[in-house]
Amino acid sequence: MSVYITSTGRFLPGPAIPVDEVEKVLGAVHGKPSSLRVQIQKANKIQTRHYAIDEQQQTTHSNTEMAAKAAEECLDRAFVGREKVGMLAVASTQGDLPAPGMASMVQAELDLPEIEILTTHGICSSSIMALKAAWNSMRLDEHEAALVLSSELASRLLKKQRYEAATTSTFAAKRIDFSTEFLRWMLSDGAGALLLQNKPAPKGLSLRIDWIRGFSHAHALPTCMSVGSAGRPEDTRTWQDYDTYAEAEQDGALLLRQDVRLLDNLMRMGVDGYLRLVEEGVSKPGDVDHFLCHYSSHHFRNKILEMLNKAGVGIPEEKWWTNLYTRGNTGCASLFIMLDEFLRTDEISVNEGDRVLCFVPESGRFNTTYLHFTVVSQ
Amino acid sequence: MNNGNIAIEGGSNGTDEESIPEGIVLNEHAQVCLQQLLRVWLGFERDLSKVPLLRRIDLGTYTAEDHQVFLRNIRQQVIEGSRWITRTASSFDRNHGEIRSTIISHAVDEHRDYEMLEKDYVASGGVLEDILAMEKNIGSEALHGFLMHQSSQPNPIDLLGAMWIIEGLGEKMATSWSERIQELTGLGEDSTRFMAYHGHNDSEHMERFYATLDSVCVNDIATKRIVKTAKVVARLYRLQLEEMEHDLN
Repeated sequence: MSVYITSTGRFLPGPAIPVDEVEKVLGAVHGKPSSLRVQIQKANKIQTRHYAIDEQQQTTHSNTEMAAKAAEECLDRAFVGREKVGMLAVASTQGDLPAPGMASMVQAELDLPEIEILTTHGICSSSIMALKAAWNSMRLDEHEAALVLSSELASRLLKKQRYEAATTSTFAAKRIDFSTEFLRWMLSDGAGALLLQNKPAPKGLSLRIDWIRGFSHAHALPTCMSVGSAGRPEDTRTWQDYDTYAEAEQDGALLLRQDVRLLDNLMRMGVDGYLRLVEEGVSKPGDVDHFLCHYSSHHFRNKILEMLNKAGVGIPEEKWWTNLYTRGNTGCASLFIMLDEFLRTDEISVNEGDRVLCFVPESGRFNTTYLHFTVVSQ
Repeated sequence: MNNGNIAIEGGSNGTDEESIPEGIVLNEHAQVCLQQLLRVWLGFERDLSKVPLLRRIDLGTYTAEDHQVFLRNIRQQVIEGSRWITRTASSFDRNHGEIRSTIISHAVDEHRDYEMLEKDYVASGGVLEDILAMEKNIGSEALHGFLMHQSSQPNPIDLLGAMWIIEGLGEKMATSWSERIQELTGLGEDSTRFMAYHGHNDSEHMERFYATLDSVCVNDIATKRIVKTAKVVARLYRLQLEEMEHDLN
C-alpha cells in the first residue's frame, strides 16, 4: 500500500538569532567570549537559528511543547480530522524527561486519546527511524493516519552554566577543547511534523514515500558524538556510574561532545550507502530532481560531489536544496523542518512527479539514512 | 583526486602538476568500476578501525611502541611491493605498452622506500637490527603470495584493484595518520617520513590511475576482475595489519 506525507508543520522558537548574537543567548562561559565561536560558525555557514531559551538561559518552551506546536500546525493544515490519527511517533535526542518516552508526554500535550505511540531515541537519524516505523505501520494497514514528530532542544545542553559546572572536565583542563565546543556553535532548537495518510491530500502536493533505508556502522567505528562520558579514552564510566550526578557533571560527563577527528567517516559512510543503493538499483542518480541533505558542514559538500561526479553518479549542485543555513541545524528535526519549507518555498519549483532524495547522516556512531519520495497531487 | 579520503578542512592533496586533466571523463564501464572500487575502499577504510593497533590512532591511545610494531611489520610488504609491481609490468604484452611504462615508472619511484622506513624505525626508538631481522607476518605472506601469483598472469589488469587499495592507504597514512601519530606519541617528523612521503607521491599516482582505469576497464569482465582483486587485497591487507601485534620474532 502506498503511503503519503499529506501535511507538514514546524515550530521554531523565538526570533531568528544571527551569528553574532548566539553567544548572548547561550551565554559566555565565565563571562569570557569563546575563542572558537567565529571559526566554527564560519565553517558551518549557518546564518540564523532559533533557541528555546532566553538570554538568561531560562527555557521558554519545553521539548514536548515544541513538538506539540509543530504537530498542531501540521494537523491544522491537514484535510483529515485528528481523530483519524492512529499512531504518534516522536523522535528526539533528549526528551524533557529521561523516562517515560517523549511520545507519552507529547500525546498528553496534544490530547490524542488511545493512540499507539512510539518514541525513538538516537540523534539526527532518530526521526528517520520514527518515520520508517510509522510508514511500516501504515503499510500494514493498521492506521488511516499517523503523525510523526521530531523535536530538539539542544540549547539546554549548550548553555554556559553546563560548561561552568564542569570544573574537572577536559573543557576546564584545556585551553581549547574543540570536542566540547564544536556543537555549541552548530546546533539549535526546533521541531517538525509530518502527517502520513493512505491517500494523497485532496488539494496541494503530497509526498509518496517510495523507500527509506539506513545503514549503521557502529560495529566498526568508535563513538563520535555523545553525551554521557567524560571524553577520556581510558575512562569507561558513563554519567550514571558516578556516585552522584553532581560529580558526573563536574567531570564533564554531561557535556555534549563531538570527536571532530572521526567526522570524516560520516561522509565516507554516507557515500558508501549511497553507492550501495545505486548498486542495488534502488537509487537512480539520473532520476533525482531534488536532493535534500541534512548537513552540518558546508565543507563536506564539495568533497562528496567531486568523488561522485568522477564515478558518474554525482547529483548536480542545482538539485541540492537545504534550509539549514537559515533555520539552523536542529538535529533530528532538521529534515522535517526542511520538508515543510521545501513544499512551500518559492526558491525552487516543486512539481507533480518530481523525485526527491533525502540524506540524513548521524555522526553519533555513524548511522546513515536515505529517503526517497515522489511528489504527487490527487 | 582524493581516493575516497574526504578531508573536513584543508585543500586538495594533489597540488602537483598533472599530466592528466582534472576533468577526465571515465567510460561507462570504468565509472561503474570506480563506483564499486569506492565501496571496496570505503569498507576497507572503515574496517581499519577494527584493527586494534589502528583503532588506537582513532581513540588517541597509540604509543611510540605501537609505531615501532607498525613499521617493523609493514617493511616486508614495502620491499616485496616493488617485486610484484615489476613482475606485473613484465606480464603485460606489447599491446599494453602504455600501461607497462606507467607501472615501471611507479616501481622506480618506490622500490627503495623501505630504506626510509628503516630510518623512521630507528628515529622512533627502534633498534635497526630488529627491523632488519623481521620476517613477513602471516598476513604479509598471504598478501604477497596472492600478488605475486596475480602479477604472473598474462596482462594482469585486475591488479589495478590492488593498486587502488594500496595507494589509497598510502595517501591515508599521509593525510590522516602521520601528523596524528606525532601528536599522540611525541615522536618527531623523522619517525613518520615514510608515511608522509608515500602519500605525497601517491596523489600523482592517482591521476595516472584514473587514466589507466579508463583505458583497460572497457567491459563487464574487466570490471569484475579489477573489483574482485581489490576485495582480495583489501581483505589480505587487513589481515596483515591484524597480524602486526602477533610478532613472529
